[in-house]
Amino acid sequence: MSETVVKLTDVWKIFGDRAEEAMSAVKSRDIGKPEVLSEFQCVVGVQGATFEVARGEIFCIMGLSGSGKSTLVRHVNRLIEPTAGTIEILGQDVSTMSKGDLRRVRAQQIGMVFQHMALMPHRSVRENVAYPLEIRKIPKSKRWAVSDHALGLVNLTGYEDRLPRELSGGMQQRVGIARALASDPEILLMDEPFSALDPLIRLQLQDQFKALVAQLKKTTLFITHDLDEAIRIGHRIAIMKDGVIVQIGTPEQIVMEPADDYVREFVQGISKLKLVKAHSIMQSLGEHQGSLDGAPRADHSADLDQLIDLAVTTDLPVVITEDGTDVGIVTKPRLLRGIQGGKDD
Amino acid sequence: MTDATTELKVTAASDIEVDNEALDGSIREFAEVNGDYYVKAFHKIHDNTGFLPATFNLWAAVVGPMWAASRAVWGMFWGFLILEIIAWVQIGRGLWGTPGAEFLERAASQAETMQRRLDQAAAATDDATRERFTQLADNMQRAIDTNMERVELAQAEASGIMLTGLAMLVVFKLIQGFYANTVYEKQYSRWRIDPDSTESGRSTRNIVLGAVLTLAIAPLVIYRFTVNASMAVLETFPEQQISTLILGEGNGTLFGAVASWMEARIDGAALAGDDVFDGIVSGVRTVLDGLTVALNGSPWPVVMVVIAVTAWRAAGPRVAIFTVAAMAYTALLGYWALAMETVALVGAAVLLCVVIGIPLGIWFGKSKRAYRMAEPVLDLMQTLPAFVYLIPIIAFFGTGNPPGILATIIFGMPPVIRLTALGMRGVPESIKEAAVAFGASRWQLLKDVEVPLALPSIMTGVNQTILMCLSMVVIISLIGGGGLGQEILEALQFAAKGPGLLGGFAILFLAMVMDRIVQGAFRRKDQQD
Repeated sequence: MSETVVKLTDVWKIFGDRAEEAMSAVKSRDIGKPEVLSEFQCVVGVQGATFEVARGEIFCIMGLSGSGKSTLVRHVNRLIEPTAGTIEILGQDVSTMSKGDLRRVRAQQIGMVFQHMALMPHRSVRENVAYPLEIRKIPKSKRWAVSDHALGLVNLTGYEDRLPRELSGGMQQRVGIARALASDPEILLMDEPFSALDPLIRLQLQDQFKALVAQLKKTTLFITHDLDEAIRIGHRIAIMKDGVIVQIGTPEQIVMEPADDYVREFVQGISKLKLVKAHSIMQSLGEHQGSLDGAPRADHSADLDQLIDLAVTTDLPVVITEDGTDVGIVTKPRLLRGIQGGKDD
Repeated sequence: MTDATTELKVTAASDIEVDNEALDGSIREFAEVNGDYYVKAFHKIHDNTGFLPATFNLWAAVVGPMWAASRAVWGMFWGFLILEIIAWVQIGRGLWGTPGAEFLERAASQAETMQRRLDQAAAATDDATRERFTQLADNMQRAIDTNMERVELAQAEASGIMLTGLAMLVVFKLIQGFYANTVYEKQYSRWRIDPDSTESGRSTRNIVLGAVLTLAIAPLVIYRFTVNASMAVLETFPEQQISTLILGEGNGTLFGAVASWMEARIDGAALAGDDVFDGIVSGVRTVLDGLTVALNGSPWPVVMVVIAVTAWRAAGPRVAIFTVAAMAYTALLGYWALAMETVALVGAAVLLCVVIGIPLGIWFGKSKRAYRMAEPVLDLMQTLPAFVYLIPIIAFFGTGNPPGILATIIFGMPPVIRLTALGMRGVPESIKEAAVAFGASRWQLLKDVEVPLALPSIMTGVNQTILMCLSMVVIISLIGGGGLGQEILEALQFAAKGPGLLGGFAILFLAMVMDRIVQGAFRRKDQQD
């Protein structure tokens, strides 16, 4: 894709008093997590994480609790100091930055949303949203205008003067999003923002959020423990287990080509209808003996859902086209297997 | 997941067989010695559904507390050691005691008198005198008889006491026998949860410890209560003798030596730090003078109006009416100037407490190590009786109002420090993290997040500090503090009931007004936020 905004290179985080020793032992002797714990009484939080996020991309980090995903994302704005590795934001190395520069980056280039909202209970909604600007000592008139605009983006106009506790959970989290957007940052860090909400509100907010980010072109790191959410929102997904990134890929790649059993187990229950595209299940044209006249045609980027719609109208296979030329076919058995998740015949 | 090798069966709770092997092994490991016995005993206890335990531990019954000691059941050891000693004391009193000793003595002396009377009767020359002495001797004989009867009664009672003691002993032994295993099973449960800090098994060390404790305690106690005549050494601590032993003959007591040493040290320190202490006193005096000028220097109608309006604005009309009534009480009874002096004293103390206490509290809230170091000092400040530290305060700072304020600060500052620290620690991590994530500096974090969120707790601390300072008002009059406290002290010295009560009520109203105004102010602030 285009320009890289966030770049992590071999980032390690080891918790404990003897983290440095443990780190050098890991580097020199290549010992694993249990040895680090038994030898140095240190816990490995993140092991050699490396990835890049491009401008405008939504990058989901998915893993169960304790997998190190929250720890990892806190390295981006250095809420947690890395034990080793480099973190770059827009070409600047965050890991060696001075305290003042770091605060400037946090205030201007990174917006963060938290699982438990973390709104200040003694300030109105507007003043909560305006707080990142207040930190930058922007005058009140400007702050309020920006804050009201941000609240408009999340459809909370009219609630500016309320206190956070007067709002429902979903609304509070929208305030959290507005606060993260207020200083118009390049990067959004979303730390399980919708996990504490009930399912219907969660679905709504996911859709709103996706539309908003697409419109504002924010680069987003989105943490979640819910694979459905990751697939719905993310352009790419990184799956973490015990501090290690197991696989990085598009939702389709993750579902169709899981890197190991751990990922496979995860994706088992995921509906493939909207994920799997025609080109990943199509067969060569020669597979079908006989005429393809009158067979329905679909673009190679059509998903299974669309293919099913076409397939039910005819007994013939669906012909897949690319730039107007036929490139392959999808037969009914193939389609059904595709729905099952690419099981071989 | 799909190719699970172990087959799971759903079983009704009643059909589940108890897997004893693991349990038995664990009990054996716990008991170490006599494992099989305890396995059986614990199983009986586990299976028991009734109230009475179904096991009897013979050893626990026979050797009593020594069994408990050997098994490190120390609670049982102490409890039954004391109970058994009580039983043994009863038995001892019955066996070796001399019950009715005083009656026997009396009878003996009466027998002497009777003998004298009989002699006198024998030596009498005329019948009338002989008659009289014989009569007296007869009377004596009757008195002796009564006393001897009493002695017999007491001796009969003695065997009763002994029997009671025996019965108690048997009952205690039975209780120990029946409940030893139950108690031990409880210890076993604790051991399963926390094997590192719960003792298990039977150790020689514990047996020796139990024996030593028993030997040190039991004989002395039984001796002291059984035998009427006792050793003087056991009655009072021989501090005189020990003093002589350490200091030599005629050099006074240990107490005297330590006390005079401390006096010299304090005098030396007071002299050495003269400038520092004078500086502190003059600093406190400046604050006090400012407040006194404001409260007592200003015309009284101005002060009254200001107070009434403050009460109204801060806490509403009801508190304002109460405030006016309280002011009328103090003014009409002639306490106005004294009351204002008290307010100035308390005000200066609270001001200094807050100015020093809140920053300290913030520091302690942020640094766990600092708080750990400060906590014993804070405890000391609050628990040390005020009378104790009045003495060093006099030594270092002299007498009068400023030293009084210093004493008040010592007593009144801990709540504001503690509650500030508590409030700081109660600020949710997530909100602090959010502020940091948006680029807040440490100072911005403190002023925008931590202090505002800790404010309710801080204000509770300030309120408590005010009340604690008020409670010191009377005590500091002992070292020359003025105001209403002095009035009360004088009334106390002359046992003047009327003036004392009136002054007491004046202080009470003062406290209530201050409390209501401050609380009202904080509550309003909360509502605004």
